[in-house]
Amino acid sequence: MAFVNVRNLTYAYPLTKQPALQDINLQIEEGEFVALIGANGAGKSTLCYALAGFVPHFFKGELQGEVEADGKLSSQSTLSEWTLNVGLTFQNPFNQISGAKYTVFEEIAFGLENIGVPREEIKVRVEEALALTDIRELARRSPYSLSGGQQQRVALTSILVMRPKLLVLDEPTSQMDPVGAKEVFSAVRKLAQEGMTVVMAEHKTEWIARFADRVVALKEGRILMQGAPREVLTSDLLFENGFGVSRYTSAAREARRRGLWTKKSLPVSLDEAAEGFGAIR
Amino acid sequence: MSDRLSFHVQRDSFLHRLNPLTKLTLAFALVVVAFVLPFYWTPIFVLFAVIVPLSVSGKIFREFSWAALRLILPAVGFLFVMQALFQPIGEQVVFKFYFLDATTESVAYAFRNAARIFVMISAFTLFLLSTHPSELMSDLTRRGLPSQFSYVVISTLQIIPQMQAKANAIIAAQRSRGLDTESSFLKRAGALGPLVGPLVFGSLVEVEERAIAIEARGFTSKRAKTSLYEIADSKFESVLRWSLVALVVLSIGLNLWHS
Amino acid sequence: MFDKIKSNFNTQTWVLIPIAIAINIAIGQIVGLLKLPVFLDSIGTVLVAALCGPWAGALTGTLSNLIWGVTMDPNALPWWPVAFMIGYMAGRMAEWGFFKSWWKIVVTGFVIAITAAIVSTPISVYLYGGITSSGSSFITAYLMQTGTDMVAAVFSTNFLVEPVDKIITAMLAFSIILGLPKRIVGGYPKSEQAQVEGGNTQQQLYIAVGVIVVLILLAIFVISKITGG
Repeated sequence: MAFVNVRNLTYAYPLTKQPALQDINLQIEEGEFVALIGANGAGKSTLCYALAGFVPHFFKGELQGEVEADGKLSSQSTLSEWTLNVGLTFQNPFNQISGAKYTVFEEIAFGLENIGVPREEIKVRVEEALALTDIRELARRSPYSLSGGQQQRVALTSILVMRPKLLVLDEPTSQMDPVGAKEVFSAVRKLAQEGMTVVMAEHKTEWIARFADRVVALKEGRILMQGAPREVLTSDLLFENGFGVSRYTSAAREARRRGLWTKKSLPVSLDEAAEGFGAIR
Repeated sequence: MSDRLSFHVQRDSFLHRLNPLTKLTLAFALVVVAFVLPFYWTPIFVLFAVIVPLSVSGKIFREFSWAALRLILPAVGFLFVMQALFQPIGEQVVFKFYFLDATTESVAYAFRNAARIFVMISAFTLFLLSTHPSELMSDLTRRGLPSQFSYVVISTLQIIPQMQAKANAIIAAQRSRGLDTESSFLKRAGALGPLVGPLVFGSLVEVEERAIAIEARGFTSKRAKTSLYEIADSKFESVLRWSLVALVVLSIGLNLWHS
Repeated sequence: MFDKIKSNFNTQTWVLIPIAIAINIAIGQIVGLLKLPVFLDSIGTVLVAALCGPWAGALTGTLSNLIWGVTMDPNALPWWPVAFMIGYMAGRMAEWGFFKSWWKIVVTGFVIAITAAIVSTPISVYLYGGITSSGSSFITAYLMQTGTDMVAAVFSTNFLVEPVDKIITAMLAFSIILGLPKRIVGGYPKSEQAQVEGGNTQQQLYIAVGVIVVLILLAIFVISKITGG
């Protein structure tokens, strides 16, 4: 039995006719790290909201089908119960700062205070979470004084500290430099290995290929294809549908068209591309 | 402009260590006493015998006097002048200005009123200087105030400086495009839209995401909330608070009996 | 009663209130900078009242006043009941369907103004002896010098000053709601109160202007009654 089961999910936001999600079926195992890719408007964010319970509890509108996680249906749970198990961060870090706290440490403790964790435990858990995302040195700063990338780390930490069983991340590294993004991916990978189930909407295909277990490609609200990262990211289907995959893959694809690329598979990272192009000479 | 809106000055003092509710009760009690005790010099007495010594013992005398001179005195001084001139009471004219005249009675009246307002403002200034807003809100939440109030107050205090910074940026941008705050009335009225529009719409569009972010962190959780900080309180302070309440009742009683 | 209050508040309400307070204060300051003869410092309050209900409006007004008072102008502090009633009344008017077209908005603004005038009169009289540090006290002083009694003088002054400010406030709050995407407005507890009724907006504006004229005539009549008698 999969940990997450999305069955025949179709959803349209209020006042819209075109559904944002159409007939989505998706199973995710416990401890699996799934990456969602797709253009803006493909339905990545809406799927994230549906997994995190905000569709249908926060956004009204027309919903068919169901979302199940940890054996419970989102439609039969309240949002506050659902969020105890499922954590969500989204793209804009500035809007994720609660505003109710003066320091990063307090900000990260906010969620734990809300769900009634005892004081001493809060302190321990916040310290652990700060170490996990490597932002101990920010603890005393005001969340508003941080850079976008730092705020994104704080937003991620604020959710991790609540120890969700399912972690839903909607473009969590959009404002980070490449090093920061890689660190987040590797931290998330580690969490998945420890048993946390992760769904991450992202554009950074190089890190997806390296760290995710599976890639789900969305187009116009439907699942276009899914499978192992390398297989999906280098597939012709994705290319034909105009997905922006990594430039290493694109360059090699062009080289293959001209008969230069001789390896069987296309590269997804710089190292593989270097190796493949090196062999051409 | 500082990045947060707060008078609070961190010091290690007796006043700072008092429970926030005690300080709040004290501020209210001083204001009520200054207003209702039926002796002419009550406000002045409260100011110099209670508020000023407290500011000294709280190690915030410098900040307090700065606020008193720069913020409170101009506002109260203006009030004094207005009242002295405009109150149509008394016979003994000491100063005349067109149809307005200040009499000994109106000056005395204005002085007492100004002194009361001075006490009111300075009592709260003292409170704000010695109490961190999040300390106050944690303590009130612990005592049963819904935690959403704490959210609203603290985030308002943090949003206002951001909004003012945005407003200043917009004003600067509009000025560079030729907005003149000294031009004709119609032009100034017309300038309101371009100034206010971006400010208002930008922040209203953010509401939805901000709501999602705090919902994702248990904002509407039905569980009893806890607090990261423990706020000190003692039996002594509880007694102190009740005595202040008694003092307030007593002065109201005295006021009614006297009149 | 308790449930009614609760129905005003969802998470979006709690997030909106701080922003509305900041809007009150920022617009108040911009208007001051432009030296316009109005305050317009309750647009956020009216906005919350229309979208979330009277209690949310009252809370916004009160907090707005207290925070403005303790951080910027301490003279504002004693007037919090006025801000409370502005928010409450705006919410009630919206509940009664007076937040759906331009002419109704004008009526709403007028009712809010009357409420504000009534509530601020006793504060002005008991706390300040009728003379506050506001510029409009010139009018009060003049009326008192000419023999009008204090309560009547204060009330007439408020009655003269408030309507213009509050009608413009209500109209601006309405135009903000009209300018927001429908999807965004939809998330608030009482958003259906602020939906526009059918009809030509141009035509509605003409009616609104007519209503303003009638209200001004009414105001002049009432004031002459008060000060004359």
